[in-house]
Amino acid sequence: MSKNNQKQEDQGTNLLYKLIGEARGYDDVIVMGRGDPDFDTPPHIVAAAEEAMIHRHAEYTPPAGLPPLREAIAERVKRVNNIDVDPATEVVVTNGGQEALFLMVLATVGPGDEMIVPEPNYNTYADSLDFAGATKVEVQTWPHEDFRADPALVRAAVTERTRALLLVSPNNPCASVISPADTRELLDIAIKRDLMILSDEIYDLFVYDDFVHTSPASLPGGKERTLTLNALSKSYSMTGWRLGWITGPADLMARVAELKAAISGGVSVISQYAGLAALTGPQEPVEMMAAAYKRRRRLVLDALDAMGMAYGLPQGGQFVFADIGFTGMDSAEVAQRMLTEQHVLAYPGSAFSKDRKDYLRMTFLQPEDKLIEGLERMKVAMQGIMAGR
Amino acid sequence: MPSASKAFMLSWHNANRALNTPLPAQTARHGADFSADEIISPLDERVIASASEAMEAGQTHYVDVPGIGPLREALADYLNRAGGSAYEAGNIIVTAGMQEARFLTIQKIGELFDSIGVPAVAHPGARKALGVRRRNIVSLPVDSARGYLPAIDGIAAALAEGCRLLYLESPSRLSGAAYTADEVAAISQLVGEHDAAVIWDQGLAPWIDGDYNSLAALESTPTRVAALSDGWPGMGLSSWFLGAIAAPADWIPAMQSQKQIMAICTATATQYAALEAGQIYNERRDERLAQMRRQREGALHAAAAAGLEVVAGAALNILALRAGAGGEAALAKLRESGADGAHFGAPDTVRLTISNAAAAALRDATEKETE
Ligand SMILES: Cc1ncc(COP(=O)(O)O)c(C=O)c1O
Repeated sequence: MSKNNQKQEDQGTNLLYKLIGEARGYDDVIVMGRGDPDFDTPPHIVAAAEEAMIHRHAEYTPPAGLPPLREAIAERVKRVNNIDVDPATEVVVTNGGQEALFLMVLATVGPGDEMIVPEPNYNTYADSLDFAGATKVEVQTWPHEDFRADPALVRAAVTERTRALLLVSPNNPCASVISPADTRELLDIAIKRDLMILSDEIYDLFVYDDFVHTSPASLPGGKERTLTLNALSKSYSMTGWRLGWITGPADLMARVAELKAAISGGVSVISQYAGLAALTGPQEPVEMMAAAYKRRRRLVLDALDAMGMAYGLPQGGQFVFADIGFTGMDSAEVAQRMLTEQHVLAYPGSAFSKDRKDYLRMTFLQPEDKLIEGLERMKVAMQGIMAGR
Repeated sequence: MPSASKAFMLSWHNANRALNTPLPAQTARHGADFSADEIISPLDERVIASASEAMEAGQTHYVDVPGIGPLREALADYLNRAGGSAYEAGNIIVTAGMQEARFLTIQKIGELFDSIGVPAVAHPGARKALGVRRRNIVSLPVDSARGYLPAIDGIAAALAEGCRLLYLESPSRLSGAAYTADEVAAISQLVGEHDAAVIWDQGLAPWIDGDYNSLAALESTPTRVAALSDGWPGMGLSSWFLGAIAAPADWIPAMQSQKQIMAICTATATQYAALEAGQIYNERRDERLAQMRRQREGALHAAAAAGLEVVAGAALNILALRAGAGGEAALAKLRESGADGAHFGAPDTVRLTISNAAAAALRDATEKETE
C-alpha cells in the first residue's frame, strides 16, 4: 500500500495538483498552468445540451457512443484530417481525450512491451504505460531543434519488444508539430518494424505560421496500424464535458470498444449531444478562439524574447516550453516561487520529464491583458531569483 | 503488410474471456427492453434547471478529480443516512458511472492484495473490469436459495485460505437479494479477524423495501470497506453516468490518481444534475417505492402463472427468474428481452428490470405458453 502510494506521490501530476491547489488561494492569481481554455463553452453548444436534458435524458447509448455522434466524428476526421473511417465500427466515443489516451495504451501494449515516446511529453502517457505494465522508451527532443522528434533516433530506439510509437502533434508540452516529411518517415519505420502508432491530435486545430499537421492515418499504409485520438476539450472549450474519441481500423477498434465498456461503460448522453452540436453547428466560435490563441502566442513570444529567454518555437498547440536553465534552479522551485511571490502559475518541466528540470511550460489560455500582467510578474520573479533574493 | 504486432495484441485481447464478458445496457434501449441495469425514470424539471444554470454560468471547465465539493458532501451525507456509515466528503470519489467505480476499486484496491474473491454470480462488470489487467481471482461459492449471494461459510473458507480482498454485492445485482443484519455482522467479524478488505457494491440499496444493512456501517470510520454507489437511482439520470466510491482516506489517493489518469474528472453537467437530484430525492421516494412495489406484484403474479420461479430478492427494481415446472419456454422467451443470467454466472436465470411493461411481457409469455 504505502509503496504504491509513494510512487503515485512522486509523479508529476501530483506536483501539478499541489500548485493548482495553492493557486486557488490567491484572488489575483494569473494561471498560465493548466491546459484549460479561459473561454467558456460556446452558448449554442450549452443550448443543445439543455435541449437534450429535456428530450433525450433517458436515451440508451452503446459504450462506443451514439450513432449520430459517431457519424459526425467520422465526417470531422475526414474533413480535417483526411482519415476515412466507418462510423459503425471505427469510432469509439470516450470520456475526454484522457480516457481515449488510456484506452489507446491499453489496446496496444501489455506487460513487458515497449512504446517509443518522444520526450518531453504529456505525462499521462507515462502513467498509463505504468498501469499497463509496459515500458516507455524515450527519444529526446530539444529546443534548438524546435523539439523535433528525429526519425533517425526513433529508428535506433526500436527493439524486439517495441510494439508502438507515440506521436503527439501538436505536442504538449513543447508545442512542436511533426512535419509531413517526418510523419511519412516515422510511418515508414512503423511499417518496416511492424509497430502500431498512437496519434494524439488533440491540438490539431492550432497550427501556426506555415507549419502543417499531418495525420499518419491519412497516409497510405497508415490507417491499418494507427489509433488516432481527438477531443473537443481544447478546440471547443469543452474540458468539463469530457468528450473525446478514438478512430482506427475496425479490428483494433473492436478491442478498444471492449476496453471502453470495461473501464467505464458509456459516455453521458448529455455530453454526447453537446458534442454533436459542437461538431455539426456553427464553427465561428472555434475560429474566433483559434485566432485569439494565435495573437496571444505572438504576445507571449515577444515578451520571452524581450526577457532573453530561450524556447522551442511553438509551431502549434497552446503552450510554450521555455528554457530557464539560466536560473540554475530546479523548475519546480522556480514555479513555486513564481506562484508564492508573484501569484502567477506556470508548470515546471520536471512534472513532464525528470530530465526537464530546467524548463517551464506556459499556456496562452488567458486574456491578453492578463497574459501581459502574468509575464511582467514572471519577469519580476526571475529578476528576484537571479539577484539571489 | 499485415502487422504481426497488431495481430499479437488482437489475439491477446480476443483470448481474454473476462474482458469480453458482455455487459447489460445501462438504460433500456426501448420500452420492451427489460435487460438494463437501471429503470427509465422521469427527470424532474428542477434537475434540468440546475444543470442548465451551472452550464450557463460557465461550469464547463475541468473540476476537481474526485468531484465537485458539494456533491461529494451530499453523497457522503446520503450514504451515511441510508447505510449508517460515517463518511466525509474526503472519502468520496465521484465516478463517470458505476462501471468506472467498479474498475477503479477492483484495479487500484486490488493492487494492494495478491488475490480478490469474487462471487461466482455477480454483475458481469466486475469480471470485465478484472479482465483489463489480470488479477488472481478466487471464486466465492454462492447460495442459489439465497438469491445467489455468496454463502458466509464460503467467504470464511476463502479468507482462511489467504484471500484478503473480497468483492461483494448486497443487494445482488442479479436477484436483488441482500444480506441480513446478522449476515453482515458475520462478514464484518470474519473480515476483521483476517485483516481483510471488502469492495462492497451497495448500488441497489435504495431499492430495498425496508431497512438496509451496509457493511460500511459496522466500523465508525470504515477502514476496510470501499462502498460503491449508483448515486440516486430512479431520478432519471441513468444515461448521465453517475457513480460514486466511498472509501477509507488512505485508499483515496491511489484511486484519485488513477481517475486523473483515465478521465481527469466526471462531466460537470452530470455532477450538477446529481447535486440537485440528491436534494429532492426524498420528496417522492415513498411514492416511487410504492409504485415499484405495485409493478413488482404484477410481475410476480404473471411469473407464477407462467411457471416461472422467482429467485429470492429484496430490491424492488429487478426480478430474477428461473424455469419452474413447464416454464422453460416462457423463460426462453424472456431471455430475449431480459438480461441473460449466464453473463452473471447463473445460466438458468433471466433478470428483468421491473416496470409495467415488464409485467405485461410476463403475462404475454404466459399466454403464448398456454396457446
Ligand atoms: C496531449 C494531450 N492529450 C490528451 C489530453 C486530455 O485532454 P481531455 O481529456 O481534457 O480531452 C491532454 C490534456 O491536456 C493533452 O494535452
